[in-house]
Amino acid sequence: MTTSFDTEHGAGVTTPAPAPALAARTRGLRKVYRSTVAVDQVDLDVPEGAVLGMLGPNGSGKTTTIRMLLGLVRPTEGEVELLGRRMPENARHALPDVGALVEGPGFHPFLSGRENLRRLAAAEPHLSTSDIPRAVENSLERVGLAGAAHRRYKGYSLGMKQRLGLAGALLVPRRMVVLDEPTNGLDPAGTREIRTIIAELHADGVTVLVSSHLLAEVEATCTHVAVLHDGTVVAQGELNELLESGSPGVVVSTPDGDKALEALRENRIPGKLVPDGVRADLTTATAPHVVEALVRAGVAVHEVKRERTGLEDLFARLTQHETEPDRLSEVDEVTR
Amino acid sequence: MTTATLPAAAPKRTSVPLPRLYLAELRWIFRRPRTLIVLGLLALIPVIVAIALGVGRSTDNGPGNGGDALLTSATANALVLPVAVLIVTLNLLLPLTTAMSAGDAIAGELSHGTLRGWLLAPVSRGRLLTVKALGVATFTLAAVLLMAVVGLLAGLVMNGTGSLFTLSGTTLSFGAALGHIAIAVGWVTLQLWAVGAVALAISACTEHPMLVVVSVLAGTIVSTVLLLLSSVSWLHPFLLPKSWDALVDVLRDPMPSSGLTEGVIRAVCYLVIGLGLAYARITTKDG
Repeated sequence: MTTSFDTEHGAGVTTPAPAPALAARTRGLRKVYRSTVAVDQVDLDVPEGAVLGMLGPNGSGKTTTIRMLLGLVRPTEGEVELLGRRMPENARHALPDVGALVEGPGFHPFLSGRENLRRLAAAEPHLSTSDIPRAVENSLERVGLAGAAHRRYKGYSLGMKQRLGLAGALLVPRRMVVLDEPTNGLDPAGTREIRTIIAELHADGVTVLVSSHLLAEVEATCTHVAVLHDGTVVAQGELNELLESGSPGVVVSTPDGDKALEALRENRIPGKLVPDGVRADLTTATAPHVVEALVRAGVAVHEVKRERTGLEDLFARLTQHETEPDRLSEVDEVTR
Repeated sequence: MTTATLPAAAPKRTSVPLPRLYLAELRWIFRRPRTLIVLGLLALIPVIVAIALGVGRSTDNGPGNGGDALLTSATANALVLPVAVLIVTLNLLLPLTTAMSAGDAIAGELSHGTLRGWLLAPVSRGRLLTVKALGVATFTLAAVLLMAVVGLLAGLVMNGTGSLFTLSGTTLSFGAALGHIAIAVGWVTLQLWAVGAVALAISACTEHPMLVVVSVLAGTIVSTVLLLLSSVSWLHPFLLPKSWDALVDVLRDPMPSSGLTEGVIRAVCYLVIGLGLAYARITTKDG
C-alpha cells in the first residue's frame, strides 16, 4: 500500500489491512450539487479480483460515486483510493490500468467506430503508437463489432453504441474495469455477451465494478454487491452472505391460497400470496409449525420449499421503506 | 497478482506524448464535416469578391458607387484582394469561425460525452487544454491561410503579377507582396488566437457550443459599438477590435508598424488572460 489512508470514520484503517487488498475504496464520500446531496457518507470497498455489482434505483448515486472513483468529479468531502492511489490527485498513475464505460458511451457521430476507438487509443498511455491499430482491432473483435467498425457511429444501434463503449474500456489489458449500466439498450444476446466478458475478466483476475438496476444481471455475474439508496450505501458485502442474511421463509405450493393465508393469519404467522401458493415468514415460526397449521386447516399442501432470499427481495427490503410487494414488478426482468 | 497489498504499478508511461494527442486532435478537427464546410465557404469568399469586382469593373464606370473604398482598390490589384478579404471578414466572420471551433473543442466534446474518454485515459486537464488550444490555433491558421491563398490566386488570375500596387502607390515585387500578405495572415491569425483563447475559456464553462458562438458574436458586436462611442473612450484601449483597423497598414509601403504592434500587444494580453481563465476553469470542472 503506498499511502496510508486516514479517516475519522473508521473501521480498519489504522494498520495496512492484511485482509484482501482493495482495488478501490471510498471513505466518507459526499458530493453536493448546489443544494442537492447526490452522495453522502459512502464507504465503498471493492476487493481486488471481485466482481462488484453496484445496485440502486435510478438517482441513488451510483454514477456520481463512480465518477468520483474515477476522478472525473471532485468529492465535496471524503476520500477516494483507486488501485492504491489517491484520487483525483494521482489519476495519472491509477487510470491507465482502469478501463471505464461511464454514463453511456460517448463518441463522435461523424467518425466510424474504428476511428472513434483510434482517437480514444491515442490517449492511452500504455499503448505505443505502433500498437494502436492492433489494439483497436482486437477490442472491436472482442465485443463483436468488427463487422460494423467501418460504419459511422451515427448509424449504430443503441446496442452497438454500448458495445463500442465497452471496446473502449477494453483497449488495453486492465487491472480494473468499471462499467456503468453496461447492458442498457442491449438485447438478451448482447446481455449474455457482456456477462461472458465480465466472467472472462474475472477469470483473468481483473476487478470489475458494474453498476446496474437489473438485479438478475447482478445476481448472475457478481461475487460482491453494494446497494445504494438515496446516496448512501445501505448494504455491501459478498453476494452469498447478503442473500443468506435475509429473513427466512418457506414457499408452500397449494391451490388453496386464500385459505392457506387465513390459516397462517390465525396462527399469527406472517405470510403473503405468491403465484401457486403462499410464502410464510419464518422469523417467528418454524417450518413444521407452518405445515402443521396449514394441514390442520385442511389446506392441500403440494410442496414446501425453503426460500433462498432472492436479490430482488433483499433489494426491495433495503431500498423501500414501506414494503409494497406490487412495486417489485418495477424491477426490470428483461434478462431472466 | 498474488501479493496481499496492491503492488505499485511498474514504472510505465503515465501520459502520452503531446504530438500524438495533437495529431489525433487534428484528425478529428479536419474530418468533421462542419469544419470542411466552413473552410469551403471561407475559401469561396475571395472568389466571390473577385468575381463581383470583375463584373463591377466591366459594367460600372468608376469607383465610388457606394462600394467600400478598399474593395474598389482591390479591383485591379492582386495584393489588395487577399488582404481586403481578411479585413472584411476579421470584423465578424473569422471571429465566429474561431468561436465555433473553440466551442466544439471543449463544450461540444463535453455534450457528446467524448471528453470523458480522454480524461479517463487519462489525459491531464492541463494537457487537454494545451491540445485543444493547439487544435483551435491550427484550424484558425488554416482558415486564414486558405482565404489569403485563394484571394491571392483569384487576384493573380484576374490581374496578373503586374498588379501588386500598394495603397501608397508603389509597386511591389512578387516576393515582397508575398511578404506583406504573410504579415497580414500572421497578424490576423494572432488576433483570432486572442478571440479563440477567450472562446476556450467560455467553452470550458458550458456544455453548449452555441453559447460560445453567441458570446463571441455579442462580444465582437458590443466592442465595435463601444468603439464608436466617444463617451467611453477610456474603455477603448481594452477592446480587442480597436486594433483591427490597423490591418490596412499592411498595404502601405513603407509599412507603418505602430498600429500593428499595438494590435499584437493587445492580442497577446487577451491570449494570456483567456488561456489563464480557461485553465483555471478546466482544472476545477467536473468531467
